[in-house]
Amino acid sequence: MSQNGSVLIIGAGIAGMKAALMLAGASRKVHLVERLPIIGGKVIKNEESFPNMECSTCMVAPVQQAVLQNPDIETYTYSTVDRIDGGPGCFSAVIRKKARYISLVDCIGCGMCFDPCPVSLANEWEEGLMPRKAVYVPCSGSLPNVPVIDASSCLHLSGKQECSLCAESCAFEAVNLDDSDQVIEIEVGSVIIATGADTFDLSALPNLGYGILPSVYSPFEFERLFASNGPTQGEITLRGSGTVPRRIAIVHCIGRTEAGYCSSVCCMYSFKFVRFLRHKLPEAEVFNIHLDVCTPGKSYQSFFTSLDDRDTTMLFTPSIDDVRVTENGPSLTLSYPAPDGNTREIEVDMVILAAAMVPDRGLGEIAQMAGIQLDRHGFVMTVDRESGSLQTSRDGIFVAGTAEGPKDIQNTVIQAESAAGQALEAMSAAAAVNKERASGS
Amino acid sequence: MRAKVGVYICECGPNIAEKVDIDGIIAGLSEFDGFGETELVVKKYGFLCSKSGREFLEEEIRNLGLTHLVIGACSPRDHDSTFKGVCGRTDLNPYLYRIINIREHCSWVIDDVEKATEKAESYLRGGIARVLRQSELFENPIDVNPDVLVIGGGVAGMQAALSLAAEDRRVSIVERSDRLGGRALELSGLSSGTFRGSDIAAGQVESVMGNPYIDVFLNTGVSSVIGFLGNFVIELLSDEDGATTEISSGAIIAATGCAVYDPSLSGSYNYSDRDDVYNPLEISRMLSSEGGVALRSGGRPENIALVHCAGRDELNYCSGICCGVMMKTALLLKESIPGVDITEFYRDICVPPHEGRQLYESVLEAGVDLVRVESAGLSGTTVSFREKSGVEDQRSFDMVVTAPALIPSPDTADIALLLGIPLDDTGFFQEAHRMTDPSGTTTDGVFIAGTSQGPRGILDSMRFARASAGLILTRLIIGEKLVPEVAVSEILEAYCTGCGNCLEVCVYGAIYSDGSKGVSVVNEAICRGCGNCFGSCPSGALRTKHFTNTQLYREVDEALR
Ligand SMILES: Cc1cc2nc3c(=O)[nH]c(=O)nc-3n(C[C@H](O)[C@H](O)[C@H](O)COP(=O)(O)OP(=O)(O)OC[C@H]3O[C@@H](n4cnc5c(N)ncnc54)[C@H](O)[C@@H]3O)c2cc1C
Ligand SMILES: Cc1cc2nc3c(=O)[nH]c(=O)nc-3n(C[C@H](O)[C@H](O)[C@H](O)COP(=O)(O)OP(=O)(O)OC[C@H]3O[C@@H](n4cnc5c(N)ncnc54)[C@H](O)[C@@H]3O)c2cc1C
Ligand code: SF4
Ligand code: SF4
Ligand code: SF4
Ligand code: SF4
Repeated sequence: MSQNGSVLIIGAGIAGMKAALMLAGASRKVHLVERLPIIGGKVIKNEESFPNMECSTCMVAPVQQAVLQNPDIETYTYSTVDRIDGGPGCFSAVIRKKARYISLVDCIGCGMCFDPCPVSLANEWEEGLMPRKAVYVPCSGSLPNVPVIDASSCLHLSGKQECSLCAESCAFEAVNLDDSDQVIEIEVGSVIIATGADTFDLSALPNLGYGILPSVYSPFEFERLFASNGPTQGEITLRGSGTVPRRIAIVHCIGRTEAGYCSSVCCMYSFKFVRFLRHKLPEAEVFNIHLDVCTPGKSYQSFFTSLDDRDTTMLFTPSIDDVRVTENGPSLTLSYPAPDGNTREIEVDMVILAAAMVPDRGLGEIAQMAGIQLDRHGFVMTVDRESGSLQTSRDGIFVAGTAEGPKDIQNTVIQAESAAGQALEAMSAAAAVNKERASGS
Repeated sequence: MRAKVGVYICECGPNIAEKVDIDGIIAGLSEFDGFGETELVVKKYGFLCSKSGREFLEEEIRNLGLTHLVIGACSPRDHDSTFKGVCGRTDLNPYLYRIINIREHCSWVIDDVEKATEKAESYLRGGIARVLRQSELFENPIDVNPDVLVIGGGVAGMQAALSLAAEDRRVSIVERSDRLGGRALELSGLSSGTFRGSDIAAGQVESVMGNPYIDVFLNTGVSSVIGFLGNFVIELLSDEDGATTEISSGAIIAATGCAVYDPSLSGSYNYSDRDDVYNPLEISRMLSSEGGVALRSGGRPENIALVHCAGRDELNYCSGICCGVMMKTALLLKESIPGVDITEFYRDICVPPHEGRQLYESVLEAGVDLVRVESAGLSGTTVSFREKSGVEDQRSFDMVVTAPALIPSPDTADIALLLGIPLDDTGFFQEAHRMTDPSGTTTDGVFIAGTSQGPRGILDSMRFARASAGLILTRLIIGEKLVPEVAVSEILEAYCTGCGNCLEVCVYGAIYSDGSKGVSVVNEAICRGCGNCFGSCPSGALRTKHFTNTQLYREVDEALR
């Protein structure tokens, strides 16, 4: 059988994009499938990344651009993979391109179609902190900068009411309300799973008040609140009241007990939040309620030790599980067990919960579809670990980034390059075997 | 030949057309006589970036015999490469074209049509003036050597070699010591899950030795490196007999590994060679020796303290692996010395997600006493510590094991100098970009892997090595040539005083000094055209092709006319 040298990558976060660029650099054809309408993954939700406090979008935008402009990378946004058959060197996969209703070729991203749309609902990408229309781009600076019509909320497409206001407002005839899903079959030699991770579901811990008390925030909600392209243009104001918080508590290790591991990034992003607050709200008092301070690697501890008492008050608790957040008039009371065994209380007006990184909630489905096994924590399992392999339990399918377990951007990129390298290695070895067989017969 | 400049203005639908009076600009430019003999062709088009727009441009270039091309459209970030591609499909050299951004800089930011138009027109005039000063540049593909040199034969170096070596690609491993394997070979205790570090390393050594495409140089160092991606020449120096060997390669991986911090160097840990204070590597050696774990006096220890984070404050980083190593060491000690009491003084528990809580729980189950402290110090084998509650105390033990903080191996700085790559403030190799290019360095063709870049465990070191190896597979492709950057810098010999300023600022090490002529010279194969050197030259000898003073001045003069 002839060996196919192209690669299917599922997930276009930093892992998927870096792997794609590397393989395209080696003249491989890459099929990059992303379920969202935009590529970039979670990193672009953050205005700045630890440890260098670099502008994340500036760091990622050139990567996104390079992916979109690379002739060897076929990017399928708003798409999923339905099936993977075959084996190494000769997989066949089925990609489902969901109807976008906006032409990726004709649309220039002017945004003229948004205003006329009568539908308004919460923007999931912005963590529900701002509204969007039925025709929308998830965030400003979206790449590709082409909107999508969400069929379930669009009046016309959901059959609720006749409407074509977006189509009428588009000067480029880019709106096609008759668009339909497309199913594409491709042949590839290897597959890389780079579907990322989720954060712990905070509603599972009612003692922390998330989802009940408006001033209790998830980490990505806070990232968006800080982002200058976010719902408040970067102004840190409280949900509901719109006031500026003055006393803020960041609680570490949320979900660590339930998940059964330390994610090794939450301390770091919590300290990043301290810097955000110091920068934007220099008068605010910040508390970090923490257990272990986990700052592994050569540049993380100094990120922490460069903070001083004016930046945050570090409050150690031997048991995060016993932290409680309750309403107290317009503000909140946070109680925690102190090292001396007593329970202490502090009054704050904002709480940010540093949630653990957990397997993407769609990963189980992907694993079943791809026929790969998950490890005891629910991340993609690797085999042949003693050679540093990123091979999954199915030959020819590799994993990269946070789909394999929690990690920071640097280690995500190292894994992406590693998985791409391994795919190349595997395919050239397979090709060499083939050549031998061919010349032998 | 008389220049004939084609100026094409994109309407970008209403995006430019609505805010810029394109017809007015066409009329204005057509009447403009500031370019002397130069003939101008000025036209507009709906969407120049569309397929039909590109075909239109190609035809115009061919049919009208244009000598230069100016596009008035969007940001070069969007479509510079599109129009370069258009030139590439005709005979027009792509360096005789320029895109002028009249959308983001004009129509999108200026509400007043008259003002937007005026600005767009002046930009375009500047662009025409500049393109007339641009020169043709040609790509010069070079042959590459697919072979790779790996410095350091630890798990990282060996894995890189195993990933790269093939019939058409030889790999040389240079190892300073008398054996392959690095640190991992000494880790006979469990290292990751159920794997022993020593087994992993020993397995690799066997594969490396059995691989016909890998050459191993033991007891050997690197004494000089010259060249660039695709063509390096390296001199190896044997530590045994001082003999030198010259080898060539297309890329280099630096995997010189790590060393273990010596806590007795710091004021907080006071002990000497006579005290029973060890690091886990030494314990590992004792465990696999015949006598097992014993005190210097000969007896078995009855109680042992494990002190985490020794070196964390001093180094100002957490190595990320020692908590795990210490807990495994505790378990091994419990197993090998029946009845031994073990107390682990820890500050924070930091174990990689994969290990999870299991390790921690097995340590508790094994009856290890875990004491969380704010800080801990040593005086011989007496541990003094402060608990989180503020209580201070001290306890004496028969034996103490300190956490193995990883530091760069002693050769790291020398190797960095040889390879022209920087170290960061921790003394490990610095990455090309900490987040987006952790395996690359500022010297193209030189990659880093494993613990030479920072503390990490065995599996992560091997994954890192596979990343660097993978990058090389994408850069040194068998049968393909490399195309170096064309818009590079050059030094005009006649003006250069040999002051050497430019040598200092070039982070890529692309400039060398030609002693015989007393001038500096740019190696065009290494230069990336960043332009750093350009501003540093006091005598005007430096020129960055495609970004010359004349080009800039003419553009600005014309735009401001
Ligand atoms: C709050 C927070 C802050 C952080 N801040 C930092 C920081 O400052 N610095 C740092 O180094 N790290 C930080 N991290 C970690 C960082 O976010 C991750 O390392 C990084 O996002 C991992 O990238 P990835 O490509 O593996 O996954 P992701 O970024 O999650 O990308 C995965 C992509 O796959 C897509 N996908 C998922 N399932 C499918 C499917 N079935 N089909 C198609 N596509 C799919 C997703 O839509 C997504 O686009 C932070 C993490 C959190 C939680
Ligand atoms: C006490 C201790 C316990 C550990 N326990 C664990 C564990 O349980 N689990 C785990 O995963 N990891 C553990 N580690 C970490 C593990 O040892 C490293 O991750 C791994 O060895 C790194 O491999 P490397 O190839 O990067 O470096 P090294 O193993 O250090 O190899 C580098 C090689 O380069 C050679 N070299 C150096 N300079 C030169 C030069 N100038 N020229 C030529 N050759 C040179 C050296 O001689 C050496 O052979 C432990 C480390 C220590 C110190
Ligand atoms: S669909 Fe049309 S109106 Fe909407 S952004 Fe695209 S080009 Fe503009
Ligand atoms: S057709 Fe749908 S998306 Fe378009 S304007 Fe109407 S409701 Fe909005
Ligand atoms: S890994 Fe553990 S022992 Fe090592 S420095 Fe970090 S916290 Fe301390
Ligand atoms: S342009 Fe940049 S890379 Fe080239 S010689 Fe000058 S400083 Fe070095």
